[in-house]
Amino acid sequence: MAYNLQDIKILLVEDNEGMLDLVKAVLKSFGVGQVITALNGDIGFEEFLRNNPDLVIADWLMTPCDGLELSRMIRTDPASPNRFVPIILMTGFSEERHVISARDEGITEFLVKPFNTRDLYRRLYKIIESPRQFIESESFFGPDRRRRRANNYDGPMRRENDSSQNDGRRSTTPLGDDAISPEDIEFR
Amino acid sequence: MDVQHYNQKPRRKAKFFSPPNILKAKAGSGGLNDAILDRAQDLLENHTVDFAPLAEIYINQMKEGIDEAAALGHKTSSEEAIGKILMPCVQLKANGTMFHYPLVTRIADRFVQFMEVIECLDEETLDISNAFLTAMNIVINGKIKTDGADHGEALVEELNGACMRYFDKHK
Repeated sequence: MAYNLQDIKILLVEDNEGMLDLVKAVLKSFGVGQVITALNGDIGFEEFLRNNPDLVIADWLMTPCDGLELSRMIRTDPASPNRFVPIILMTGFSEERHVISARDEGITEFLVKPFNTRDLYRRLYKIIESPRQFIESESFFGPDRRRRRANNYDGPMRRENDSSQNDGRRSTTPLGDDAISPEDIEFR
Repeated sequence: MDVQHYNQKPRRKAKFFSPPNILKAKAGSGGLNDAILDRAQDLLENHTVDFAPLAEIYINQMKEGIDEAAALGHKTSSEEAIGKILMPCVQLKANGTMFHYPLVTRIADRFVQFMEVIECLDEETLDISNAFLTAMNIVINGKIKTDGADHGEALVEELNGACMRYFDKHK
């Protein structure tokens, strides 16, 4: 048995038309049924409102509206049809401070360019098989930013209602293993 | 360890949500097999999109950034000035390999790392910027769609050496 992605709708936002066509072709070859495209974040958000996709893949550096702004709108705009939609951010940035700022805007996965099809597939697989909880606090709304498991952490949890207290696992606060794993920050 | 800090009452509250996994419900199980992934990889490796026109735009933007900073005639640590040089180079790094110019990605990556840590733009950093720019220009104009073999390695090492000398001088 294998994935059937025929019913899946993906919004792909990228201002480089060559890259847009390439990634679209890759997604289609994965079997994705519908790939909606947009050339910047503003148009991307319009398409998001119109189509309510199951997944958003966006480039970071775009004008006039970049991938982070698009993520912010998706997560916080009252008109957003799905604030929980997974978002994969594609970018040439791999330095930690950039990853942190992306994570803080509610990005689900970070895909460093250049990438190969297995890199993209791994992000897709992770989103499908290991979805994260969402957190809403005064200053943040997005996927739980704490993904690194530290078995030797013996302090109390940071939040009284932290659900990870219930399953016996404890998280630490920095970037998750998956958010900035070595494979993410190597370039090819 | 001061346990008092840890024993205080949590100050922040957050709401947790577990949204329905729509993707899983639609996709089912089993992942994608190697044949599908290999076919997709073939698409990436064998496309014929010409990167040169786009690369030229990024190269020109980078050159404008360097020229503008040089025209100031003094040091600047302005993020805007640095960004005007850095951002097009990030694009070159990101897109080089995707469009069959791995040496561009390699050179640009080294330059991005350099620009991320320097304190300011001055005559020396702008000279180094120009060296990287020239190198990438040569690779693109020469349509060098490989890693450049020994020459590519030597070029990257030379550029890296310039960065290292700068760092040694400005410890």
